[in-house]
Amino acid sequence: MSWRSVFRLAWREARASAVKFAFVILAVAVGVGSLAGVRGFSRSFQTMLMREARTLIAADLSVRTFTLPNDAQTALMNDLERRGIAHTWITETISMAGFGEGRTPILVSIKSVDPTRYPFYGTVKLDPPMDFAGSLTPDVAIVSDDLLLRLDAHVGDSIRLGGQPFRILAVMAEEPDRMAGSLNVGPRILISRQGLDRANLIQTGSRAAERFLFRIPQQTPIEQVRTELKKVFQESLIADARQAHPLISDGLTQATTFLSLVSLISLIVGALGVATAINAHLNQRMDTIAVMKCLGAKSSQIIRIFVVQTLALGLCGGVLGILIGVGVQLAFPFLISRYFPVHLGVSFDPVPALQALTIGMLATLLFTLPPLLSIRRIKPGLIFRREMAETKPSLKQRIRQSGASVLAGTVILIGIGGIAGALTSGTWKDALRLGEYFVGALTFSLVTLSAVAWVLLRVLRATGRRASVLPATVRHGIANLYRPGNHAGAIVVALGLGVMFTLTVYLIQHGLIADMFRSAPPGMPNVFLLDIHATDKDAIMDLLRKQPGAERPPEMMGTSPAKLITINGTPIADLKLQGFARRFRSTRQVSAFGAQPPYAALESGKWWTGQPATPEVCAAEDAAKTLKIAPGAELTFTMSGKTVKSRLVCVTRIDSIHLAGRLEFIFSPGTLDGLPVIYYGSVRMTPQKVAPLQVAMYNRFPTVTVVNVADVLRIVQEVVDQISIVIRFISAFAILAGLIILASSVAGTRFRRIREVVILKTLGATRMKIAGVFSIEFLILGAVSGLMGSLMATGFSSLVLKQLLKADLKFDAVPNLVSVVATALVAIAAGWLASWRILGQKPLQVLREE
Amino acid sequence: MQPRHNFMIAVSALTKSIATSTHRVDILKGIDLVVPKGQFTAIMGPSGSGKSTLLGLLAGLDSPTSGSIKLDGEEITGLSEDQMATLRGRKVGFVFQAYNLIPTLTAEENILLPYELSGAGLGEGRKRARELLETVGLLERGDHYPVQLSGGEQQRIALARAFIGRPPILFADEPTGNLDSENGHRILELLITMNRREGATLVLVTHDRELAGYSDRIITLKDGRIVADEIK
Repeated sequence: MSWRSVFRLAWREARASAVKFAFVILAVAVGVGSLAGVRGFSRSFQTMLMREARTLIAADLSVRTFTLPNDAQTALMNDLERRGIAHTWITETISMAGFGEGRTPILVSIKSVDPTRYPFYGTVKLDPPMDFAGSLTPDVAIVSDDLLLRLDAHVGDSIRLGGQPFRILAVMAEEPDRMAGSLNVGPRILISRQGLDRANLIQTGSRAAERFLFRIPQQTPIEQVRTELKKVFQESLIADARQAHPLISDGLTQATTFLSLVSLISLIVGALGVATAINAHLNQRMDTIAVMKCLGAKSSQIIRIFVVQTLALGLCGGVLGILIGVGVQLAFPFLISRYFPVHLGVSFDPVPALQALTIGMLATLLFTLPPLLSIRRIKPGLIFRREMAETKPSLKQRIRQSGASVLAGTVILIGIGGIAGALTSGTWKDALRLGEYFVGALTFSLVTLSAVAWVLLRVLRATGRRASVLPATVRHGIANLYRPGNHAGAIVVALGLGVMFTLTVYLIQHGLIADMFRSAPPGMPNVFLLDIHATDKDAIMDLLRKQPGAERPPEMMGTSPAKLITINGTPIADLKLQGFARRFRSTRQVSAFGAQPPYAALESGKWWTGQPATPEVCAAEDAAKTLKIAPGAELTFTMSGKTVKSRLVCVTRIDSIHLAGRLEFIFSPGTLDGLPVIYYGSVRMTPQKVAPLQVAMYNRFPTVTVVNVADVLRIVQEVVDQISIVIRFISAFAILAGLIILASSVAGTRFRRIREVVILKTLGATRMKIAGVFSIEFLILGAVSGLMGSLMATGFSSLVLKQLLKADLKFDAVPNLVSVVATALVAIAAGWLASWRILGQKPLQVLREE
Repeated sequence: MQPRHNFMIAVSALTKSIATSTHRVDILKGIDLVVPKGQFTAIMGPSGSGKSTLLGLLAGLDSPTSGSIKLDGEEITGLSEDQMATLRGRKVGFVFQAYNLIPTLTAEENILLPYELSGAGLGEGRKRARELLETVGLLERGDHYPVQLSGGEQQRIALARAFIGRPPILFADEPTGNLDSENGHRILELLITMNRREGATLVLVTHDRELAGYSDRIITLKDGRIVADEIK
């Protein structure tokens, strides 16, 4: 048979099932749309990062570091300046902003720039519009609009930074290097470098990010400058205009992989629906297939016809999906606008669209493989002898058939694993591992959901049959679930998977936040004081002690930056450190203590007495374990350019409620003498007394940042909420796919339903009663899916929280209950949407047609 | 007796049993039969005598439990399903009791289906389909769907479909069983006329003695065995 004939027969066969196939197309379209949207957005974002790389860092090259520049670094920058490579210095820090008398100061992010040079590329736009370079004088501040909202302030008002007044000049409308910035906590304030000096916020050792932007003349190769800078800025992040910003780019890649996998779940739910619909379709076409075989068609020819049909449906779904994807792509900038103000405009990129289309068609084909292959099992003799279909297959046949099912299942799983792997961006090993995890989790979810669905539906069936006390409407509604071709199990699994995933995201998000609020150990400080100068520390301790509301005595600790160089003579660079352990290669904050604090328990060794002649050090238990060091080890550090050789004398364990619990190395007294030391304080206050403390602190020590943990948690919550909204937006597509499957199944049984409606009407049932029967059926499907989804979501989220995030999930009935009710309601809506107008059928007309 | 290769259908020691979930049923219990080329044979018997099963086995729609079947000199019992389908496409035409038109195809598309499945060019096929539509008196109804045709009209389309590939053998299973007597006679006359024109070997399964009266030979089955073989 020619391909032309195959296409012709496939088309003729499909045109009779237009409505049914419309749902199949929609089911595919939803998954493809979500995938095309995610990947399309990601690509246009990545393209934008590349295209706008220069504007996004406002320079040809930028260096970010967390320490003030040392002599070598300053010398190199001055040398570059002489060679025509201009640079400008940006400092970003957090601090307190005061407004009005007696009002609580708020935590803000401050960015200070030299307006005569910054930005090298792009423009700073202000509201009201004005010339940026000429307006940013040392006594003014440009603020983000949320600062005005939080303080109820207006342009022209005066705020205080470090105790100094700054007039609000304008609202920041656009800032080219916003995404490349750091320390993005609370409302943002832009001041000049002279303004920063005036506020006196930065001292050596202060917690701030320094960025140096360079403008490189065209004739100078960027790489050459980069190499020179890398030599002196060893621990710094260097980004240049030839590449997308590494931090944003890496984050985007990871987010894309994750969201692509979430989309793949929608696609799989859709593909499951397609498989169910094709299976039902083939069951209805068994006679046709048998007749075709009688007329000389080979199984392979018939399979070809239906494969072409399925692929055509996948293609139509894919094309529609690409259109949906454009919508998704347009929605993304709104979802992330708070943290990434991007204006990507409307653009269509064929690469992700084709990628999503191919994956959509492949997933469709994979999942329809088992029903399509079952065409081989349809005997032409079916036309003559119906009982042949009912004859019991021999054990050998059954083994052979189950072998084929297992093989098809394996092909599907390998295929899905392959797709999942292909959606990652790492090495092939990463892809393989991710593919395995994805398939493992998917198989587990599907098997568990199927098993639970089977049990629940069995129980319902038994209940419906036996419980004669139930109203007839309910009993008929339950009986309808087992109508031939209804696929209750498949619907429940598909819809349940969507609900499970979306609810899991929600539960993890809320569980995480709730755990952060709940799990703080009793006595944990809720106020932290940052950037305290040595001259102020005693006065601040005094203020803290006198301040009412302190639940525990305040603590204060001085730290200095130190970098571990060698352990017993072995350079730290030669140690195999992986993951979080690599932090020991960077500069850490260390402290020096006199006598052993009462809360410091010794795991091994002995604390020093007095001031030892040579520096001694005590390591935190975790640091000692990671670095595999024990008392007696020789550790060499560099501290602000000075080399310090020390001997490890003890390993200590300090409860995290103490400031010292965050230190990895505590030195013997005298070690840090002469080094820049910055102090940190902490105190546990009754929540109502935090604001008065902030006011009191700000009045006397305006350069000290007083962090209320509750504020930080609120900011974290905002970030987590934002991320969660994006994930839920994409995972909601899986629910949509599940609903389409429900509608598709209902549409597939339309003729049976019409027949039932007229028979029931003939027997005297009112429209209301029949509507009740169908509504009960849809309600049960939705409620069972919702129940299963929420059960599984609770299990999954508790597993993720416990195993990966080390947090506990406190069961909350409300979101689970809402899921069940909401799923039931949308299922009723989807069911009725697909059985539109069946209630209005006239009995005689239908019965005559039979 | 004529040499076996002159026979269009040759069956020897044919048996068929099926196992249901509860018991085993012997449907055919050793059938020996030869049908010469061009003969019109009627197979009769009461319900459950095995006549439809025999027809299904002759057409290779199912495999026998034991025995041999040759169609036009070719042994078919060992053939794979696909080989059997190809052979059917080449040599066998069918008329079913329930018409078995494909509901999603128009009358003309139904007639053309065997042609398309065989991979032959459609131009020639369309011409022949139009001729056959004219023969069965439905030239104006070619673009109608089965559901838009009456039972008799559907069976006339099925007849046209059976003849489109000029098969040397035609199997008809109770072709008038679903029709009233007037339509039934019309179909039978058409079947016989067309069969004479095409020169095919016709095997008709029926329980209607009047219909069987038109045949050259009547074989009667009972309980899976041939109990009578009358040649006129």
